[in-house]
Amino acid sequence: MEVSDLKEKWTGWAFDEISFDITADELKEFALTCGEILPRFTDPTDTDFQAAPSYVTCLHGGKQLPDGFPMQQEASFDSGKTVEWNFPIRAGDTILARSRIHDIFEKAERSGGMMFVVHRMEFINQDDVLVAIVDSKLIQQVG
Amino acid sequence: MIDPKTVERFSDIDFGDDLPEVVPDISMEKIRRFSQVAHTTSWRFTDQKKATAAGLPGAVVPGVMSQGILVSTIHSWAPRCTVHKIDTIFRAPLLADSQPVCRGVVTNMNEETNTLELDLSICNEEGETRVLGTAIISLPS
Repeated sequence: MEVSDLKEKWTGWAFDEISFDITADELKEFALTCGEILPRFTDPTDTDFQAAPSYVTCLHGGKQLPDGFPMQQEASFDSGKTVEWNFPIRAGDTILARSRIHDIFEKAERSGGMMFVVHRMEFINQDDVLVAIVDSKLIQQVG
Repeated sequence: MIDPKTVERFSDIDFGDDLPEVVPDISMEKIRRFSQVAHTTSWRFTDQKKATAAGLPGAVVPGVMSQGILVSTIHSWAPRCTVHKIDTIFRAPLLADSQPVCRGVVTNMNEETNTLELDLSICNEEGETRVLGTAIISLPS
């Protein structure tokens, strides 16, 4: 199937939804293992205690791709991530994560044609605020 | 007392400023702790023997951990900043128990919004760039 056909069929609709209860211990441990030293990320007693900005990358959906999507996960790899941080996530929050395929495109690389699939997760808190967006770029060789 | 290597305000910064270099702790023990909290417990990250047997040069640092390390590098330089966006390319594996260097440089400044753009990288001991990134941050005026 052509990339343009894949894009038309598979992009723009949510294929997974999952909810997370955010705990102080996990926020603290994520921050400490990434080398953060600021109390607002590492000390749950700090009045501004919150998640480090890339914390949402460790919240995984129930499935990475929609059922039937023609990409072999074992033959693909995660080439990068973009995190947009809009609003603090704090201990006690309930975060709803919604996954969709945001984009599909092809690029000619030295090693041949590569298909890029941009997997987007949107994170919404209990007050219906969009707190963060994470785009993951999955790559698979084609042809 | 303010650390002389940190910046507090937008006005403390000039275009082209380098962030202080950081050598992050990517020991196997730290990676295992990260993998637990990030639910990325693949042997590629946590088991040197299995990784080597599978043809990798050794256990590797999870990409999302290297991204978190770059964010903490920004915070060590600008503790009062807000990181609005970070874009990271996992160009090549970063080996566990190695001693890479995180670097950053100011590549754009917007005085109306007090926002900055940074170029970021993590290089291994051979000086090879393994992780590349850009970030948009803001600071108080």
